Amino acid sequence: MLRYTLKRIVGVLPTLIIVVTFVFFFVRMIPGDPARLVAGEQATLDAVEAVRVQLGLDQPIHIQYLKYVGGLLRGDLGMSLRTKRPVLTEVAARYGNTMALTFASLIWSTIVGVILGVWSGKNRGKWQDFTGMTLAVSGISLPNFWIGFLLIMAFSVKLRWFPTTGVGSWKNLVLPAIALGTSIAAIIARFTRSSIVEVLKEDYIRTARAKGLKEKTVTWGHAFRNSMISVVTVVGLQFGFLLGGSVVTEAVFAYPGLGQLLVESVNYRDYPAIQSLILIFSLQFIIINLIVDILYAILNPEIKLL
Amino acid sequence: MIGKKSAAKAELNEKTDIKTPISEMVRKFKKQKNSVVALFFILFLVFLALFGGALAPFKINEYDYNSILQGPSMAHWFGTDEFGRDLFSRIISGTKISLAVGLSAVSVGAVCGTVLGLLGGYYRGIVDAIIMRICDVLFAFPGIILAIAIVAILGSGIGNVVIAVSVFSTPTFARLVRSRTLALKNSVFVQAARNLGASDARILFRHILPGAVPEIIVQFTMSVGSSILTASSLSFLGMGAQPPTPEWGLLLANGRNYMMTSMHCTVFPGLAIFLTVLSFNILGDGLRDALDPKLTD
Repeated sequence: MLRYTLKRIVGVLPTLIIVVTFVFFFVRMIPGDPARLVAGEQATLDAVEAVRVQLGLDQPIHIQYLKYVGGLLRGDLGMSLRTKRPVLTEVAARYGNTMALTFASLIWSTIVGVILGVWSGKNRGKWQDFTGMTLAVSGISLPNFWIGFLLIMAFSVKLRWFPTTGVGSWKNLVLPAIALGTSIAAIIARFTRSSIVEVLKEDYIRTARAKGLKEKTVTWGHAFRNSMISVVTVVGLQFGFLLGGSVVTEAVFAYPGLGQLLVESVNYRDYPAIQSLILIFSLQFIIINLIVDILYAILNPEIKLL
Repeated sequence: MIGKKSAAKAELNEKTDIKTPISEMVRKFKKQKNSVVALFFILFLVFLALFGGALAPFKINEYDYNSILQGPSMAHWFGTDEFGRDLFSRIISGTKISLAVGLSAVSVGAVCGTVLGLLGGYYRGIVDAIIMRICDVLFAFPGIILAIAIVAILGSGIGNVVIAVSVFSTPTFARLVRSRTLALKNSVFVQAARNLGASDARILFRHILPGAVPEIIVQFTMSVGSSILTASSLSFLGMGAQPPTPEWGLLLANGRNYMMTSMHCTVFPGLAIFLTVLSFNILGDGLRDALDPKLTD
């Protein structure tokens, strides 16, 4: 087990290095002079030079790269041009909000997705299946910003049950989490369904039924438990997409998270912040994928852990 | 008499009915009613994209300050916006933008990915390693984050959104085609072609590629749906199409300012995005099921 885990961790190192390198070159890929872009069109030559020194763009490229990597290892993400504060501080202030939103979405969408998927898979070809899968294909086709607005119009403006924007209490989390989790719930439902359909063909299901076990026990104790492997994989992978989807959802609800910070940074052309945020999103995605891989190996007895 | 006729017909069918993978796929696809409906809806959208401008009752930038932010009526089916522009006409005109962005971005991604996948899978070695590493890196970013990164470099605009979406749809096709290439390159017919002295290019494009085409079609359809969604998300965030373009995501972003009083400004553009993406997803599902050999009738 340990060996497998280590092997997987070593396996992502090249990807990590390439991602860091890509993000490093990110600022340098902007057409034209990044220092001029950052300083603004009307800036004096002195101001442009000052920005160049501030960004470290006056040094040879390999020195810049080493400095950047060294900074990352120390947790130094550079200074935000917009707020003139360390990017790390900005990120830390919002990280918890995005995590709360992501987890809230993931939890409800997993529960709903699994129930819908099992219900459809168990009743394959019947009206339950048709209903479940129609809901699911609709779910993956809904723009989450549109759901967000519909929810705001229904539950904030008309019914006044939940606040429109902001952060602070659990009430602020409900509508964004529904908007963000809908497509994920749909994807989980689709995967759970096909997994259940496969598992129900197995001999041990027939044995369980022949033994006279209750249909509920067969469904949840035998079929669902064995389809868990693929469900866990899908749930884990969705986590990364939730991080991406949070950008749009946070914009709808003016929710102060990483996604909103990214949008603000892009609008302000705050390149150090954009660079760091893209790196953070990508690192999280890589780490989640790694955890999913390892979890998959633990859950699946067919994979021999040497 | 009738029995004889139908028997003769069956015999004729048996003779002429050569089962190619594609004809088999078409036959199975026709049985999926939902997907056939979705296909017709997409054809309708294509029609709107081509002729919508001429059919729309109003011009897309026709201001009418006497009818600002009106709800749906006989004159304005989807109501009007803050300049009195007819929302129905604007949404119809937006069809061509969303379809063009989705189709062109995925086409570029599919062509690049297919070529990379063929090369990687066929030649293996260093070429394959480099291509797969690039895919790994592109996969290391959640799709929309990568798109935002690219737009942040290139600047806002619908053209840059197309580039961004092409880039992140490329690796999916590359992996898909690569795995088909690996499976097909040692097949008997490829070996036969090689022994007959066919060039690598001929083997790749005439013998291996056709074997990957059904999967490419399914992935293409699925990707168009998600690309339209991503592109409209970017426009919604202000990074894609710019006003006064009647792009659906942008219409929705604009409508949010009048959400409290004029719901129609957000409801209808969102509905347009939803139905379009939904039809591509249902079509993709139908094609996938039609392709799945495990799903017999």
